[in-house]
Amino acid sequence: MTNAPHILVIDDEPQIQRAIRTILTEKGFRVTTASRGEEGLTLAAVNEPDIVILDLGLPDMDGVEVCTRLREWTQCPIIILSVRDSERDKVAALDKGADDYLTKPFGIEELLARVRVALRHSASKQGMQGKVIHAGSLTIDLAWHIVRRGDEEIKLTATEHKLLAYLASNHGRVLTHQSILTHVWDPADADHTEYLRVYMRQLRKKLEVDPERPQYILTEPGIGYRFIADE
Amino acid sequence: MNFAMRSSSFISRFGQYLFAFGLIAVITATFFALRDALDTTLIALLYLIPLGLITALWGLGPGITSALITFLTFNYFFIPPYYTFAVHRPTDVVILVIFLIVAIVISQLVGRMQVSLAAATAREREATQLYELSTALAGLHDERAIAEILAKQVQDVSQGEAVELSITGTQPFAFRLPESIMPTRLPEWVVPIQVARGALGEIRLWRAAPAITSSEKRLLQTFASQGALALERARLAQAESRARVLEESDRLKSAILSSVSHELRTPLSTIKAASSSLRSNEVSWDSAARPELIAAIDDEADHLNMLVGNLLDMSRIESGALKPKREWNILPEIVGSVLARMKHLAGEHQLEVDVPESLPLVPVDYVQMEQVFTNLVSNSVKYAPEKTVIRVRAFVEGESIHVLVSNQGPQVPQEHLERIFDKFFRITAADRVTGTGLGLSICKGIIEAHSGRIWAENMPDGLAFNFTLPLIWEGAPPPQLPMDTETE
Repeated sequence: MTNAPHILVIDDEPQIQRAIRTILTEKGFRVTTASRGEEGLTLAAVNEPDIVILDLGLPDMDGVEVCTRLREWTQCPIIILSVRDSERDKVAALDKGADDYLTKPFGIEELLARVRVALRHSASKQGMQGKVIHAGSLTIDLAWHIVRRGDEEIKLTATEHKLLAYLASNHGRVLTHQSILTHVWDPADADHTEYLRVYMRQLRKKLEVDPERPQYILTEPGIGYRFIADE
Repeated sequence: MNFAMRSSSFISRFGQYLFAFGLIAVITATFFALRDALDTTLIALLYLIPLGLITALWGLGPGITSALITFLTFNYFFIPPYYTFAVHRPTDVVILVIFLIVAIVISQLVGRMQVSLAAATAREREATQLYELSTALAGLHDERAIAEILAKQVQDVSQGEAVELSITGTQPFAFRLPESIMPTRLPEWVVPIQVARGALGEIRLWRAAPAITSSEKRLLQTFASQGALALERARLAQAESRARVLEESDRLKSAILSSVSHELRTPLSTIKAASSSLRSNEVSWDSAARPELIAAIDDEADHLNMLVGNLLDMSRIESGALKPKREWNILPEIVGSVLARMKHLAGEHQLEVDVPESLPLVPVDYVQMEQVFTNLVSNSVKYAPEKTVIRVRAFVEGESIHVLVSNQGPQVPQEHLERIFDKFFRITAADRVTGTGLGLSICKGIIEAHSGRIWAENMPDGLAFNFTLPLIWEGAPPPQLPMDTETE
């Protein structure tokens, strides 16, 4: 199985390494592990993995820096592992180019879901435009700006459309407040999370069956939002 | 001796002599006019009056000098032959000699009395100053305040150019008077502030002129020892309160440890029991107990994670590291997401929400505020009986937002209403309800970090948690957003 996806795990805790390696190998991935940042960077350069799973608390260097240095030469998906309450670090890593994050302790379904999303995104980096995205009863036609629930068309304002298009074309991935604000509004508005809150609420009211319990647009507290579409 | 008097300069000294001579001249002139009518002996006696006066007023120096001058003028003007210092009659010689002796003796006596009176006054003033100093220092426990008072008193008494008090110790500091400019030269005088255990610092005094006298030195030394006593007392008081705090935190730590180990061990026991029975051959592969055990491991791991999270939050609040990342947020969104997540935990409880969409945006940390609602609602779920109503209500009150989370659970005795926000405080026995006893104190920590206030009150049918949060953030009211409403 030489063409099985190759995953590099950079984490200094042997138990976590063991658990992730066991599960991912079981699922048919090739797994390499590194316990230090420098070692991880070297292994990434040698092996060119398909995905990097990176712990933010490494003994020799800051995980955010590992992220930055990886991004200098590779676009391979990076999934951040970190403990709860370090939202600032997670956001910093995501804004420095990491693709997604998992909070320790995490369930294995979550890990596998992140890996799947990451692989899909690296496979279809381009050509997202013009796609039609299905999420439950929703159909989102990105090219034609048409959103339907069942057969009924949902009317959206221009900003709501831009917002939904950005979320849906990155479905499965976490998008930080800053990245959404920069893409949908303007880099100058990157601090105005209130825009996002208000428009997101409005959008949820139009799309979600129960806006208090959203199925499609999920809040990632302190980080951003994630759009869930059908696989 | 009085320092102010002592500082009397040469000019005023000279003035005193001038006055003395003037007085003698005036009196001599008067006597001279009456020379024929007065007897020589009477004149000699009358001369003694101004002499006594001069000594009493200006001291021994002018007194003795005046006595000698009077002796000469008396001889010159009043003892025949006039206008010479020659004396012919033996009686006149006797008069002159007696006059000189009496004049000098009177001057001496009056002068000495004067000096001892001045010394007594100076001693009294010293005593008053010392009394003032010790009254000012009494009851002070702040080293800086002590240093300030001591420096001021030294400055008052010495009238020096500058005074500096340097205090050594764990937090050394110096207090200077005047604060603006210090002389660059070495101080004229340095007194150590010393106690039995060693030096606590020193007083430095700059005063070039007049030179510091020994009696001043003695007084300043007394000041220094008074200061030393006050400093020593302050340090002992500090050490005592530190010891008390340590004792308190020790007691708290053992309370934490016992509560925490109990709480952590409960889920661990479940996990250990479930995982070991799955590993052994006790549970067959197709047993219905398998998914049950696996679910227990999963749930208890989450529970354990929550407990550790609470402990971390608490230590962050305690160390002041809990800094809210405030942003304008929609309160109904936060409440909605928390309640949606807690639906399955609420079980048979009925959740009622009255958090209108029309509320302004609130400047809060989204994650922390979620935690406040989670803790308050789960506390209500824990203590209120099933099938009762848990209500969440929010409304604007002036420039704040007021939130109420009320339940129909048991009331809290009035005296415990404040204490339920203390860590590890529990009204019921610890083993009857699960949790770390940290939930409410975390809420308090978060709300206070948002400059808000949190309290509990008994309602006719239960208990209500209240908190208020300011709506003004960085001087700005909640923003009104321009929305595009036109659909494509």
